[in-house]
Parts: sequence; C-alpha cells; structure tokens
Amino acid sequence: MNVLSRLTLPAVALSLALGSFGLAQANTVKIGNIEPMSGPSATLGQQGKAAREMAVEEINAAGGIKSLGGMKLELIYADSESKPEKGVAEAERLINTEKVHVLTGCWNSAVTYPTTAVAERYGIPFIVPVSVADKITEQGFKNVFRIAAKDSWWTRDQFSFLKDMQDEFGTKVEKLAFVYENGDWGKGFATQWKKLAEENGYTVVLDEPYPSTATDLSPVVQKIRRANPDVLMLVSNAADAILLTNTIAEYKVKLKAIVASGGGHADPSFMKAVGKNAENLFDIVEWETDVNKPGAKEANDKFKAKNGYNLTGEAVDAYLAMYVLKDALERAGSLEPAKIREALAATNLTDGPGMIVGYDAVKFDASGQNENASPVIVQVADLGQGLERVTIWPKNARRAGYTPVFPANK
Amino acid sequence: MLYVIEDMINGILMGSIYGLTAMGLTIIFGVLKVINFAHGSLLMVGMYAAYWAITLTGVHPYLALAIVIPVMFAFGYALQNIVIKPIFIAEKNVREPITVIIVTTGIWYILDNLTLLVFGPQYRSLTANPLQGQMFELGSMFVSAPKFYGFIIALVTAAAIHLFMQKTIMGRAIRATSMDREAASLMGINQYRIYNVAFGIGAATTGIAAVALIPFNNVFPTVGVLFDIKGFIIVVLGGLGSISGALLGGIIVGLIESVGPQFMTATWTEAIVYGLFLIVLFVKPSGLFGQKHDW
Amino acid sequence: MKHQHINKIMLAGLLVIAFALPLVIRSATYLHILVLLFFYAYLTTSWNIVGGFAGVLPLGHAAFVGIGAYTSTILSLQYGVSPWLGMLVGGVLATIVGVIISLPTLKMRGAYFALATIAFAEGIRVMVENIDYIGPLKLNGPRGLQIPPLETGLASFMFASKEPYYYIILIMLLAVMLLTYLISRAKLGYYLMAGGEEPEAAMALGINVARAKLIAMAISSFLTALAGTFYAQFSLYIHPKSIISLDMSFEIAFIALIGGRGSIVGPLLGALLLRPVGDFCRIYFGDTLPGLHLVIFGLVLIFVMLYQPRGIQEPISRAYQALLNRLIPQPSLGR
Repeated sequence: MNVLSRLTLPAVALSLALGSFGLAQANTVKIGNIEPMSGPSATLGQQGKAAREMAVEEINAAGGIKSLGGMKLELIYADSESKPEKGVAEAERLINTEKVHVLTGCWNSAVTYPTTAVAERYGIPFIVPVSVADKITEQGFKNVFRIAAKDSWWTRDQFSFLKDMQDEFGTKVEKLAFVYENGDWGKGFATQWKKLAEENGYTVVLDEPYPSTATDLSPVVQKIRRANPDVLMLVSNAADAILLTNTIAEYKVKLKAIVASGGGHADPSFMKAVGKNAENLFDIVEWETDVNKPGAKEANDKFKAKNGYNLTGEAVDAYLAMYVLKDALERAGSLEPAKIREALAATNLTDGPGMIVGYDAVKFDASGQNENASPVIVQVADLGQGLERVTIWPKNARRAGYTPVFPANK
Repeated sequence: MLYVIEDMINGILMGSIYGLTAMGLTIIFGVLKVINFAHGSLLMVGMYAAYWAITLTGVHPYLALAIVIPVMFAFGYALQNIVIKPIFIAEKNVREPITVIIVTTGIWYILDNLTLLVFGPQYRSLTANPLQGQMFELGSMFVSAPKFYGFIIALVTAAAIHLFMQKTIMGRAIRATSMDREAASLMGINQYRIYNVAFGIGAATTGIAAVALIPFNNVFPTVGVLFDIKGFIIVVLGGLGSISGALLGGIIVGLIESVGPQFMTATWTEAIVYGLFLIVLFVKPSGLFGQKHDW
Repeated sequence: MKHQHINKIMLAGLLVIAFALPLVIRSATYLHILVLLFFYAYLTTSWNIVGGFAGVLPLGHAAFVGIGAYTSTILSLQYGVSPWLGMLVGGVLATIVGVIISLPTLKMRGAYFALATIAFAEGIRVMVENIDYIGPLKLNGPRGLQIPPLETGLASFMFASKEPYYYIILIMLLAVMLLTYLISRAKLGYYLMAGGEEPEAAMALGINVARAKLIAMAISSFLTALAGTFYAQFSLYIHPKSIISLDMSFEIAFIALIGGRGSIVGPLLGALLLRPVGDFCRIYFGDTLPGLHLVIFGLVLIFVMLYQPRGIQEPISRAYQALLNRLIPQPSLGR
C-alpha cells in the first residue's frame, strides 16, 4: 500500500468533524462560565457553579430582565480542567458557537489571563468573580470586570490586620514565616508579602515555596518549627492546607498566629477534614456567613440546604456576579456586548439580593477592578456549636460578643 | 545534628511507606513486564475502600485491612482478567506489549474520573481516629506514630510477599512465569491465571499501602496521581521487579524529601529526586539494588 | 484508471479541501479545534520518527515543546528577536538537549526508556517552576510568560484571526509528514525499523542502530520544539504546568499508538479520532457530569487497543483499498 492512499483517508473523518452550525435568535441571555469542573481545583468550580445557579434561578423566578421584556438568564458551563489551553478553547467556543453575551470565570488565575484575552479580542464582557492575581485587571483590557479583591489588596489587608491585632492585644510580632504553594497564586502573594514585611519592619525568618502535589509536608513543618516565627502566613490549596494544618498540630508548633489566604483553607472540606486542629486559625476571605448584611443569613441557609455546605467567599462572589450582571443588563436594555460593557463599567450596585457582601456598593474602576472589594479576616473558633468561622477584622465587622484569641497559642 | 537525625527518621518512615505504595507496581512489573500506569488509581481506590470501611464500621483504621485486602485482590484480579488479559492474548508475540501501557492509562482516567462522578471532588480524611496526630516524643524529637506503624506494616508486607513467593506453590509458579513465561507455560503453568493472581497481589499490596496512608493523608479522586510518578521513580531506583529494592528506593526518596528541605526549598528536592533517578538510570539501569529478581 | 492515479487525485483533492477548509468553516470555534488538532498531529508525527520507527516509547516530548516555546518567547520578549528566528534557535537548543538525553537513554529497553523520558520531562518542568531567572533571562518560574498582543502580521507571528495559524500549522504538518515519508524511504528509516524490530539482527548486519536512533531523536526533538513556538504564539501565554505537562507528553504518545505507530498517516488519523472525542465530550458533558469526558476518553483508548492494537490506520487503509478494488476492479496482470 502506498502513502497516497493512506493520505486519502482523513477526508471522511474531517468532513464528519465539521458538522453544521446555525445561528439561533437569542431568546435568553447566554452567560458562558468557564470553571474547573474536573481536575485538581474541581471543588472550587463546583462551588461557583452552585452559587451561579442559585442566583440565576432567583433572577429568573423574579421575572428575568425587565428591560429586555422579562428575558431569562441561561447559564452555559465549560470545564477548564484548570488548564489554560482548555480555557482558551472553551472561550472561543462559547463566544463563536454558543454566542454567549457575557463570560465569567475562571478561578485559576493561570486560566483567567489567556481567557480574558480571548474575550477582549471579541469585545465580549468578561466578569471575573474570583481570580486574585493583580495582573488580570492590569492588562489594559476594556472588557474585564473583577468582583474579588486583587492580591495586593489581600496581602495589604493581612498586614493591616497584623498591625491592628498587635495594637489591640499588646502582643508584639517580629518574626514572620511565609509558606506558600509554588504556583502563580502563591508566588504572587509571597512577592507582595516580602515587600510589605520590609516596609513594616518585620524579620522574615522563612520564605518557603512547596509543591502543592507534596505527599508529606512534615519537612516543611519542621522548617517552620525550627525557624520559630511569631506568625506563619500561608497560601495553600485544599489537599496541602489539610496536610499542613494537621502536621503543624502534630508537631506542636507554637505560633502567635497562622494567617491563611483563603483558597484551600476556605474550602468546605477543610474544616471537616482537620477538625479541632484548625482552631484559632486566621483566614482572609471575601465573605463570611456572619456578615452583618440583611439577606445574608437567608441566602446562606438556602444555599446550605441545597448543597450541604456554607456559602464560601468564592461562591458569594459568583452569586454577586450574577446580580451585577442582571443590574447591568437592566440598564443596558440590549444584548449588544458593547452596551453591556458600558453598563457594567457604570455599575453602582448598592442593594438587591446579591449585595450580601460586607461593603456598600459594587463599582468598577477604570481597570475593571471592583474598587470597594474588601476582604475580611475570620478566626476559626468553637462557640458551642462546633467549629465555625467568625469574622473578626476589620473591627467594625467583628461578630458581636466575640473576642479574638490572639496570640493564638494560648 | 539532632535535626538531621529527626529528619532522617521521618525520611525513613515516610520513605518506607512510599516503598510500600510502589511494591504493588514492582510486583506487577516483575511478572507482567508492563508498567501499570493505573497504579496510582489503584491506590486511590484502596484509600476510598479503606475510608468507607473505617467510617461506616467505626473500627480501628488498621482493622480495615481485613476488608481492603480481599476487596483489592478481587478488584485487581478482575481488572487484569477482564480488561488487560485480552490484550496480552492479542499481542502474544511481543516482548513488551506497549499497548498494555495505553490500556492501563485508560483505566487510570476511567477510575479517577468515575470516582469524581460518584463521590465528588471533596477532600476527605479520617477525623477522630485513634491514630490521628499521635506522636512519639523523644526529648525534643518528634516521630509520627502512624508513620512508624506504616513503616512496620511495610516491613511485614515485604517479608510476607517474600515468604509467599518462596514457600508456596503459587508463589513459585509466579516466579517461574516472571523469569521465563514460555518455559513456565510448557511446565503446565497457566500464564494468564498467574497474571491475574499477580495483578491481584499487586492491587492488594497497594491496598495495604492505602490503609497505612489513610490515618494521616487525605482522600480525593486525584490522590493517586501524587504517588504515581513517585512510584515509578522508586521502582526504578530499587530495580524493577524487586520487592526489597522498592522498599529501599522508597527510603531514598523519603530521605531526600525529608532531609533535603533543610538545605534548600522543598520545591528543589523534587528536582534532586528526578536528577538522582536519571543518574541511576544512566549508570546502573538495573537499579541501585538490581538483581534480576530477589523474591 | 489505475489505483495509483486515483490515489494521486484523492490526495490532491484532500489537499485542496484542507486548504479551502477555512473558507467553509467560518466559526473560530471549529478553526481553533482544528488548529489544535493539526498541532497535535504535527507533534505526533514528529514523535513518530523516534517513537514509531525506532520502536522505543518516549513519554517526555512535552519537554521539547517547552524548550521551543520558552526559547522563542524569551528571545522575543526580552531581545525583540522575531519568533521565527526564535523558533529555529529553540529547535537547535532542543536538538542539543535531545541528543544529550538520548546518548545514555537510548541504550535502555522498553520500560526503562519510557520512565527515563518521563523523569527527564518532569525534571525540566520542576526546574522551570523553580527558576525565575537564568542569568539575564526571565523564565518567571511557575507564573509563566505572557506575550503581550503586538501589531499582528506574519513578521511578528501573531494574528487576530485563526486562519493564518491554521495555514501555518497545516503547512508545518504537511512538511513534517513529507519528511517522515522521505525518512521511511531512506536508509535512516530502514535502519530505524530494522533496529526497532530486531536490534541484534540489525547490528549483526553491520547497521549502527544506536547512531540511527540518535539521529532520529535529534530530528524529532528539533521538529517538536518548532511546534512549541507555534503554540506560544497561538495561545500567547505559556506556563510550565501546561506546556511541559505529562498530560501533553502522554497525549502525543496515545495519538500515535491509537492512530498507528510507525505509519505516515497514523498520527494524523489518531489526532482526527482522539482530539474530537476529547473536545466534544468535554463540551457536552463537562458541565453536568464533570469528569465523564475523561472516562469516555479512557474507554476509547481501551477499546481501540483491544480491537486494533496496531492502531486505526490499519483497518481504515484496508477498507479504503477494498473500496477501491470494488469500485474499480484492476485488470489482472497478464503473464
């Protein structure tokens, strides 16, 4: 058999692969959501999905988008598997084939960069509920709107918190240890931390990235123990957050505080898996169940009844993103991407079911960053009903009647 | 100095558990002559089996062995008999059937993702088990109790497999097949049944490793991937097919991972492990402790 | 009409179709999928030179993709070197690395070689993840490198639409297929196959098998690195976990084995089967049943290997030949 006949064969397969694709008249607002539904960050993708669904059900039940004749919202999901190339391919497909009007996603910053670039090229508005890397809103893109705070704000707040706690409790913190997953997210935080530590006159006694695929973290914990820091600051995914927390407890490492950065430490399975070892841990999050906002408790109860776990910061940002979009669509009165973009840019959302966050209004600055987004810091504590996350900082958001345990090593 | 001793102890204990996770891989390779890429998934299945056995019955974690070993043996036996055997039969004349590698990779994808579909992406760990957080404190030195027990389990398992291979008829038949499958066939040994049994034993051994891990490790659908590449490295370091080699290979990896971070960041120890692996491959491809077969 | 003529006409027709496809397929979605399909077919064809002809199983080719992508990207970001030139530099660098790694490893048999290449690629990934700078060169560790959109055009290897990428990768694919065809006809191909099947016999015949394998590896790593540059320019973002990933190394090998290892069209056929299976399953099941697409992918791998251990290339070629024979019976060759 010669090579020519071998080459002939792909024709059939190719023509099969093409298929046909038609254009349907839009009768819903199509929202494309790129999230990690399988792979290592799957829990985060699932939380985001559950939250979006709850918001969209509510919006649709309340009559959809009134300025568009009661048009309903439709969610279309795509699995990124936490891989940038899959995210990009899905963005192309959602825009070109599904003809979505707006995109949201992608949790993993590494997926969000190239994916927002695709949206920018097509001029499709892209709402980023959570992906914290500064760079995302610093690419000069016109169509990117981020609900969550960016990592320079998260780290800034972690340091303000440290300072406030020292002032409030009269305990001095001098030595810091930074331990973080060796990825985009961890490195991003660590870079900011080092700068902030220098500015604030702390001594950094340990600066340790670790692979988040590690199967044994006791060597890292030993390093922490021997460096003897006052405060340990962490960026972890779920599996490693669980391992680290348990191992730190096993080795009886005495720290004035452990300050985590959400993510793995905020994962619903985290507290279940570590139990009492999480006690007194500080974690920075976008949102907590005890936030003093009307509707927050109801929203959480509803979410918990359906999904079996509390709303997380990640989930709330996704939930809020849908209401931000609804608000923009009402004002745009059109499905044209440019109009939606304009409306999003002019957002000043102060009320409605979505506004269960701690701050007063969602407003985007010129770069598309939600300028009011502000994380809170919680402490894990047992107040008689099992472990829960209690908001303690900023002080005006602190849960009434709770005194933070600081230093946390009793 | 004390630090180094403490780290070495942890390295040896954790490393022996790594060796235990890789033992099943090396048994399967020794007999079937294929790399089982689904090995990590077998470990994951074992961990889920152990997790549910312990949480549903409330027994002491190590008693789960009574359930996990037979379950994993049956699982491995069936997997080889139903999925892998037909390929061996189709590729009878090939010395190292590469297609089997593809099939085991297919099994890996299927098992990991079926688990995701059935149990969801959550991380689970045994809370409130009698072993959790137990430490032996020797002065200022800490030694993790479940790791120490894991070390004992690894030694006992290695010894038991060794005895089984030496003393039982089935063990001898397995050894005969691993040395020369044609000759073994001529002697009336059913090659494919031996493969089934070997795969079953490999899976059961992996189940033992899963039980050793579960008191201090999380369970989630992709947990096996973390141990996959590590397992490959360990078995090559120790010599493919060698039980004691797997144990020693595991300890070497454990020592590098445990002692290394005191001199560099933990992320670089990974690179050292790969580097050592390549050096060993270049210099002594039969592995550091490479005899052909030592069972 | 003779079958040879028909084959030539069919081939010409296919080429016309391949080149005309973007005129029909206007959707960027499908073009994107096709570009990646050809990208993988290209990688697999390059892999095939060593993995197919030489009978070993390299499972670390993503390392070469990474070397190509990083080289051209760093050169263009930091020194303004055209990615086209960077592509060649990356290719040369990958060849050097490929030869260095092959000198000791190619002597190994089967499983050892496969594991050595895995460790090599993973080692490269770990290094890249740990290194922010090599001297003045910014690798940016685990955060990867982003290529800012510049003015588009052939010179900058950057385009606003998918079509130019489609044609570039199509031409690259055709060129590399032609090259493998020529190799298979040349002495090198003969030596490789002889060495892959019966190394002892080949050496007895005085064939320098080791040298042939080394040349094959050098060619293969060079070609693979070129695709790395293409990928970087296509996605404008590279980071170690995705571009030097085991997943990619494995997928390349799977496509070759499923398509038909050691044949010229096998890699393309494998890509035509596996890429759409992966893509469409993810699209249809990714949201409701996360992970199901990989279950299906796994099932396809197992079933093809169960029923066509030589790859799908064999039955397809046979069916095509049978069809030809039926449609145009050849006059029996008279004595």
